[in-house]
Amino acid sequence: MTIITKNLQVLGGSVGFFIEIMSSSAHTFRNREEVFNQTLHVFWQSLLTTGFAGFFVGAIMALQFTLQMEVFSALSYLGGLVTSATVREVGPLLIAFLLSGKIGAFTSAELGTMKVSEQIDAIRCLGADPIEEVIVPRFFGIVLASFFLLTVGLMCSLFGGILMASIFAGIPWEQYIRHVPTIMNGFSLTSGVVKCFSFSLVIATLCTYRGYSVRGGAKEVGEGVVQAATQTMISLVLADWVSSLILEELLNV
Amino acid sequence: MFKVQFIPMVLATLESLFTEGIRFKELVKHIDDLAYKSLNIIVVCVSFAAAVTIVEASFHMKMILHDDSLVPGFAAMLIVRELAVVVMALLLAAKIGAGIAAEVGQMKISEQVDALRLLGINPFNFLVLPRLLACLLAGVTLSLIANSVCLLTAAAVSVYELDQSVTYFMVAFRRFVVMKDLWFSVIKGMTFCAVIPLVSCYYGFRCEPGAAGVGRATTKSVVSSSIAIIVIDFILTYIFSHFY
Amino acid sequence: MIEFKNLNKSFGDRQILKDLNIDIPQGKIVFVLGMSGTGKSVLLKNIVGLLKPDSGEIWVDGFPVHEMSEKQMSQVRKICGMVFQQPALFDFIDVYENVAYGLRRHERLREEQIQERVVESLALVGLKGIEKKWPHELSYGMKKRVSLARTVALKPKILLFDEPTTGLDPISTSRVNELILDLSRKLGTTSIVVSHDMKSALSVADHIIVLDKGRMLSQGSPTDMRNSSEHLIQEFLQEV
Repeated sequence: MTIITKNLQVLGGSVGFFIEIMSSSAHTFRNREEVFNQTLHVFWQSLLTTGFAGFFVGAIMALQFTLQMEVFSALSYLGGLVTSATVREVGPLLIAFLLSGKIGAFTSAELGTMKVSEQIDAIRCLGADPIEEVIVPRFFGIVLASFFLLTVGLMCSLFGGILMASIFAGIPWEQYIRHVPTIMNGFSLTSGVVKCFSFSLVIATLCTYRGYSVRGGAKEVGEGVVQAATQTMISLVLADWVSSLILEELLNV
Repeated sequence: MFKVQFIPMVLATLESLFTEGIRFKELVKHIDDLAYKSLNIIVVCVSFAAAVTIVEASFHMKMILHDDSLVPGFAAMLIVRELAVVVMALLLAAKIGAGIAAEVGQMKISEQVDALRLLGINPFNFLVLPRLLACLLAGVTLSLIANSVCLLTAAAVSVYELDQSVTYFMVAFRRFVVMKDLWFSVIKGMTFCAVIPLVSCYYGFRCEPGAAGVGRATTKSVVSSSIAIIVIDFILTYIFSHFY
Repeated sequence: MIEFKNLNKSFGDRQILKDLNIDIPQGKIVFVLGMSGTGKSVLLKNIVGLLKPDSGEIWVDGFPVHEMSEKQMSQVRKICGMVFQQPALFDFIDVYENVAYGLRRHERLREEQIQERVVESLALVGLKGIEKKWPHELSYGMKKRVSLARTVALKPKILLFDEPTTGLDPISTSRVNELILDLSRKLGTTSIVVSHDMKSALSVADHIIVLDKGRMLSQGSPTDMRNSSEHLIQEFLQEV
């Protein structure tokens, strides 16, 4: 019972926090430069991790599908299947997991540190609103950057798939690519994009929320990071399921 | 200063297993802390992941074969070979990896690690070994649980979403999945779970003072263990593919 | 200048401040002494609205702080400079921007005026020419002084210090004490210093208030303190 109430509290807290961010974001668009800086910062910091993860996810998917497809001697469909499955489902989820570990941990650590070293209090004393000055630019920075990062990760997974298919299954890349358009249609692409976007919203909200609610000292910062990472992951899986269902209803007639 | 390198740390930990034995009280505490307390979150997450897999697989099957009767077989195979353990391991990397790094890092910067050494207690034996063993146990049990939960959800979803019978799912499952798959899955789970405490303890021991230091240590440990899991998954999948 | 009436504050079921009545006159340096965890910092944070009292009234320069909203508090925070226990410098901007942070928000100044004020405040704390450095390049004592400069740059009427000498070596301690004395005389500010350092209190304060378990134990001039028969104050004096 306690686990349910605890999770509901987190949900309520983060939704409230999201609304607070949105309501202060209106007149923070004068702060475009700061949002841009944050986006770049997050993007560069996580680019390598994401690209690397994407590449291996693609390679693993290609490997597994080769084993399955060989049974049905349908190897010619490999490229299309792997790409579609990766872009629609496995790719966004696994890459978002990695991102939530990376971005989630460093954002909540950074904000938690600012909180316990009284920097947030100092901002309030010096006449500024910490939500507007610190949280909003980071929030939009993370949303934008993780969306781009997910896209980059998915592209890397495509390369991983191509490479693995040519090494392991002996399928040349022209043949691999040829079937991509037949299976991966606009719908696959749309659902991939929608998922990426909803994941980036989830990551940004939870990480800033958990970091901002830290109080205490170094120990609590550590605990805040752990909570940010786990709660982001649970929410990602839930968001994945919800967005799959909604997309199914809306587009897959 | 107490400087730690990764390989010597692993070796010293394993060595202390034979020279100093296992601290059972610590071990029990960590089994509760690392394995048992992760059960809830893993059950919830992998079951949702499995549900999504069935829905997505049916989409692809309908597109290529214009028929989704093979979905249960394929999905069961994908779940047992890949999805269940990898999702589980990535979750654990975040949950217990960050937890261990924060805990050990906190002990390091509050000079508790040095205090242990002054009392003649080997920090590797006291801190790393029990966590490693607890995680290995978690790897075996949780990957079995994750697989079963995944398959149960998959069966439920294919009954409700795809209008197939439970019997059909079981038959398809028996045709596509062999015992070997489960062994490989458990081996994967164990390997992933061995990596997490080692990487996290390493970053914990290298934690710099202050809240910012603890934050950095936890971040690094989550990222490094997640990446390590994905790379090891690729290597193991490649090795296992030669046995089919 | 600052007045507390029947102030109560608790965290959960732990009551920190109990029915506190204090009146702090203008232009004086007041030390609030007490053991750790007696609610000294909580008292300061109530003045600038970082914490809200459960009941009671707080009047700061005619403003009823206890019933003001976060937005309205901006007027009080403009005249109340707070120096935190930790340096609390923003590590994402350099020293210059740190000191200019409050100026850019509380006042409408031209860039030259801001620069003038920044240089002036850094000179006041004895740190010339470090504008381009970053917080992580400074020592702890320097960070505390930059933090002081950031607060002083706004020319506040009231200065609040949260344990300004904790964690500093004896030489830096006496330098910070001199700064507090100097600033109050030069700028004519009212200062409230929260501390557990009786030695600093005796050398700097005009007035000393001793808190014990959230209540006021005793108050008076440094001379009164020396002659006090209270057990806690005697213990504090033995440290000197």
